[in-house]
Amino acid sequence: MSLPTKAVALAAASAVAWSSVALTASALADVFKIDGPPKVAIILFGPKNDGGWSQAFEEARPELEKIIGAKIPVVEKVPEDSSAITPPAERFIQRGYNVIIGTAFGYSDTFKKLSEEHPKVAFLDASGITNGPNLESFYGRTYESQYLCGMAAAAASKTGKLGFVAANPLPVVNWTINAYEMGAKAINPDATLTVVFTGAWNDPVKERAATTALIDQGADVIGQHVDTPTPQIVAQERGVYGTGHHRDLAEFAPKATQCSSVWTWAKFLGPTLESIKAGTWAPSPYGAFPGIKQGGTDIACCGSAVSEDNKKKILAARQDIIDGKNAIFVGPLADRDGKERIAAGATLSDADLWKMDWFIPGVISQK
Amino acid sequence: MLQFLVTWLATTPSLAVPYALGAVGLILSERAGVLNLTAEGLMLIGAVSAAGAVLSFHAPPLLGMAVGMAAAAFVSLLFAALVITFRANQVIAGLVTVFFCQGLSSLLGAQFGWTSKAFSGLGPVPFGPLATIPVLGPIVFGQDLVAYLVVPILFVVSVVLGRTRAGLNLRAVGENPEAADAAGVSVPITRFLAVIAGSALIGLAGAYISVASVKIWIDDMTAGRGWIAVALVIFARWNPWRALFGAVLFGAIQAIIPKLAAAGVMLPQYLVLTTPYLATLAVMIWVSIARRHAPGDEPGALGRPYVREERV
Repeated sequence: MSLPTKAVALAAASAVAWSSVALTASALADVFKIDGPPKVAIILFGPKNDGGWSQAFEEARPELEKIIGAKIPVVEKVPEDSSAITPPAERFIQRGYNVIIGTAFGYSDTFKKLSEEHPKVAFLDASGITNGPNLESFYGRTYESQYLCGMAAAAASKTGKLGFVAANPLPVVNWTINAYEMGAKAINPDATLTVVFTGAWNDPVKERAATTALIDQGADVIGQHVDTPTPQIVAQERGVYGTGHHRDLAEFAPKATQCSSVWTWAKFLGPTLESIKAGTWAPSPYGAFPGIKQGGTDIACCGSAVSEDNKKKILAARQDIIDGKNAIFVGPLADRDGKERIAAGATLSDADLWKMDWFIPGVISQK
Repeated sequence: MLQFLVTWLATTPSLAVPYALGAVGLILSERAGVLNLTAEGLMLIGAVSAAGAVLSFHAPPLLGMAVGMAAAAFVSLLFAALVITFRANQVIAGLVTVFFCQGLSSLLGAQFGWTSKAFSGLGPVPFGPLATIPVLGPIVFGQDLVAYLVVPILFVVSVVLGRTRAGLNLRAVGENPEAADAAGVSVPITRFLAVIAGSALIGLAGAYISVASVKIWIDDMTAGRGWIAVALVIFARWNPWRALFGAVLFGAIQAIIPKLAAAGVMLPQYLVLTTPYLATLAVMIWVSIARRHAPGDEPGALGRPYVREERV
């Protein structure tokens, strides 16, 4: 590292340190406290046995119940609509529940409003975007786990042609795709990733068509960022491999699925509930963004097509991520059009992650 | 390039079958004068019951699909009673039926644990060496049984509609129920039978999606395909063969969208995803311009409840 860059890095580091001190101080000034012991309720976006996003919360529930020592009721299939979210939330609050956990982006505004109306109730919203003194949105750094799945995909691939079935080109999906390709290149520098966007989170017919099209074009490992296990099921039918999202999709396609990016919500929500109980909870004004270390996301790895040697590499990379030695989106990094996106020595900021609308070289996709 | 065409044409039938069966089911009902918007809901009932029969009772796939047909026909009795017996507004009754079926199907799936459970489902017909013939093999000999049955089903429907006494009665009830009634044809019974038979086909369309196409049940998995079937009926001017043409056109467009992306053709993705709807618009405009002097082929009494005493 040359001197000027070092100076810049130092200045940046101290700026970050100072701002975080300032934040903690202001947050401590009016620390939030609930009345009595935590009584937690969960509002699920999908059915609790959807095999993916919603079920991951349902599976975290028993552990959370142990932590707070009380049953956690769940309402399922609550659509992203204020008139659907408010009644169950209000009913829980009337019955004395003081920690409400939501599970959708579309709950953001309603949760903001509820949190203002009920200042003594703690609100948490997965994949939300609003925050406040008693409201914190949270989402996992899925690019960490999907980077590792990309490594597993390249390890399982014979051709180096990987395929990926994704919902929509949103930042949360784009960073998954980029990290997947970066992980793949760590194993096989020539690996390419062809992406098909289905335009829907939950349309197995389109997912099947997309997976079939990718395999017909020669892809031999299929990654995914959609909500159903269909791409893995098709991969298994066609005798190729794949990697899953949300939960360990080996449940649906044991032969095909080599690695899955999984949610580990108990690991993140457990300590959060502890801190709410202890009265030390200070919701971040930018929301919580836990990675493998803090328990937002992790991997279920690896299938039999990943050699022992590569498996060791993947687990070592996982440890590097936990130890902070690999932030994945580090410079120098240019997008596939040649435009510099991360300067040498820099790490992409969270703000830029949430704006990601570019792809790295090796990603083949529609715009 | 040849490979691209072959795999494109080979994946088209499985995407076209639900549209074709759904649209023909709707045509049966509408030719009898019952405006039918229930396809999205009844397809879900067909899909969940067929998947349930396969998962819980280990029914062979074809039997499971028959269960899906029966279940959709059974649930359609509710719609039929609403619009034929109680003469409710057919548009509203249709929409209510869709909402009811959405709720019922996801309740059934959750209650019996059918949601997100993969099963082996209906595979392609084993043609042996025929399936490996280059080009023709995957397209002609690589489909499942129901895909081959679509044309015979359409043939039967159009023969029944056009060449039999029962079909004549059905059309008479749809064109001019007063005249049919005066000729001794029971309007309510004919309409009930038309709705039930049509709903069985719509149920088969849904069962095809869950058992043959994706081999899993997921809430609301029809994802708007029932509404496309409703649009296809208008597009086809209530003719089964034109509905098949529309279904194949839609299936082909839907099959080529992911293929273009997988082949690395870089197009703006949101534009590409709108192509099926742009195609619908284009064909609708073309049809209405080309046929602007032709007599209307919409059933004369479509959407009109029949009351014997009324003189309209």
